[in-house]
Amino acid sequence: MAESAIVSKAAAPRGSFLQNDTLFYALLALTALGIVSTLQVVAFRAPTEASMGIVQKIFYFHVPAAYAMYLGAAACFLGSAGYLYNGRLGWDALARAGSEVAVAMGIIVMVTGPLWAAKAWGVYWTWDPRLTTSMLSVLLYVAYVVLRAFAGDGEAERKFAAALGVLGAANLPIIHYSVQKWGGNHPKVITSGGGGLQHPDMKLAFAMGMTSFTLLALLLLWSRVRIDLASSRLAELEQEALELGLGEE
Amino acid sequence: MRMHFDTSAPAPIPTTPSADDRSTAFRAVQGGGEMQSGEKLLVEAYAALWLILFGLVFISWRRQKAIDARVVTLESELAKVRAAGESRKSGGA
Repeated sequence: MAESAIVSKAAAPRGSFLQNDTLFYALLALTALGIVSTLQVVAFRAPTEASMGIVQKIFYFHVPAAYAMYLGAAACFLGSAGYLYNGRLGWDALARAGSEVAVAMGIIVMVTGPLWAAKAWGVYWTWDPRLTTSMLSVLLYVAYVVLRAFAGDGEAERKFAAALGVLGAANLPIIHYSVQKWGGNHPKVITSGGGGLQHPDMKLAFAMGMTSFTLLALLLLWSRVRIDLASSRLAELEQEALELGLGEE
Repeated sequence: MRMHFDTSAPAPIPTTPSADDRSTAFRAVQGGGEMQSGEKLLVEAYAALWLILFGLVFISWRRQKAIDARVVTLESELAKVRAAGESRKSGGA
């Protein structure tokens, strides 16, 4: 932990909140507390849904995970656009972090959704507009992560990935409005035209899920950016070591 | 005498399809969705959620640790080289 603090302070821009370990660990503690409290409310306070039964409780993490996927994708879009605009590596680090959060949250959505559907619809998967567009989005961010992992870290690769990060975001509004425009089986309980959550404890559990997944997405983004900053510091040191003739490990 | 026919009743579904039917189509058991246990699906969903999150956290933690270890080693090596350079300079002067 102390080592990580040294690295982050050395690599982050001077005065940046990214180098503030107290804030980082405070967010970590707050996120852990939020998730544990949400679990407690979902398990013991939120009532069982009348028609679907207990399986509906997947909703309290499925929807917040989808929302967190949007947050990751938005960070990827912002970082990619920023990098294309001024070429600063900090923006690229944000885009990379965002894509990984989008993939992790997208996989959660793609796993928990079909498990819920198995009970609610009798099938794990159907080519419903929202399911299809969501899967397309997850695949786009998987492509981004794979590209960054295997295609090297040159300027051309970063620019190509940034273009993908900007264009990939175009699918997000399509996911959001797909239910309203094209119908399908996917529920629209909390979006416009939906009946909403009919019990105060359901609303509480959902609000807590959304809050804890917002914190979780921010924490994952921050921790991934810290890794990138530490990698930049390592690259600087390796360059210095080479210049001083310190071997070629 | 009037005969009564129940026209609202659905046509009976053959329970034992012929060999030809089986080779061209697979039919789902009626009410198949109800055979899934909601509790089991809920536990599977939450298990998947935590596995994915812990996997991501573990991978990030390992990456950070590996980079930190390398940075600490390099920093100490560089400090030694710099100190040796300084002493050489001061010795030469």
